[in-house]
Amino acid sequence: MANHSATHPKHVHHHFVDSNQQFESAKLGMWVFLVNEILFFGGLFCAYIVFRAWYPELFTQAALELNTFWGAVNTVVLIGSSLTVAMAIRSAQNNQKRGLEINLLITILLACVFLVIKYFEYEHKLHLGIAPGTFWNPTPEIAAVLDHPKANIFFGIYYMMTGVHGLHVIVGIGLMIWLYMRARKGHFNSEYYTPVEITGLYWHLVDLIWIFLFPLLYLIE
Amino acid sequence: MSEHHEHHIASAMQLWSIGIALLILTVLTVTVAGFGLPSPFDILTAMAIALTKAFLVAAFFMGLYWDTKFNSLLLIGALAFFILMVSITLLDTLYRDDIVPSF
Repeated sequence: MANHSATHPKHVHHHFVDSNQQFESAKLGMWVFLVNEILFFGGLFCAYIVFRAWYPELFTQAALELNTFWGAVNTVVLIGSSLTVAMAIRSAQNNQKRGLEINLLITILLACVFLVIKYFEYEHKLHLGIAPGTFWNPTPEIAAVLDHPKANIFFGIYYMMTGVHGLHVIVGIGLMIWLYMRARKGHFNSEYYTPVEITGLYWHLVDLIWIFLFPLLYLIE
Repeated sequence: MSEHHEHHIASAMQLWSIGIALLILTVLTVTVAGFGLPSPFDILTAMAIALTKAFLVAAFFMGLYWDTKFNSLLLIGALAFFILMVSITLLDTLYRDDIVPSF
């Protein structure tokens, strides 16, 4: 132990016993953050539950304005990106630099596809005046089929939940680009891939949230 | 150096199987939604499928199945507190005479 600086790997900080303890600590920290994220989104899900209990007929009516097909496509896109993140971690664990880079790039691409689809969904709705809260200003055709006095509240919840989720996707893309640049420089290998692992955990949580948002918002009719 | 702990490496086959299972469950939930089941059963099946998908992601993509139990405990704790938050809120909102006064 006297000359530990000569024996321990470069990436291990001095206050950790070994590489594994450092890895487990980082992962624990990420899980604590994810607990925080779950309760943060939990507040939004709670609002959804309260308003759905108050106005069940509103939710079934308003959900007809959401396009199930594109919601399903986005679900598939996010599941695909979760798979590529898991494959990226596997590549890092197996010292496959090229595999890590390719899987990160596919993940970034899929995340961008998700956002582009989301953009067109928002754009289409806002064009029809389907906006949240006080911005609610539907065209006569929409107002004729959706004449519920609280319709603006459903879309307040819709834009807030999908919007905050979308922000998480944007942050995720930033993190993936950072990982890709570090991967290019050869920073990751089977001994050290902590950033890939914990960014992966974050990305899977973003996927998990969407797994619940999709049936709750799009699949009620 | 202390003993080296090997991290579990999921096989490509395992990861692809989970991905395909998630896709099948997505198709299933969209198909079942098309049946138009009566009121409590539509949301119950949708949530049952969503929870199954969430379990697959958490256990295998997030690696909780091979991980220390403490991380699973954190996730379960988060869900328990979420249920607590919703329950206490509903105890208020479900029993109001005037849903939202002057709103």
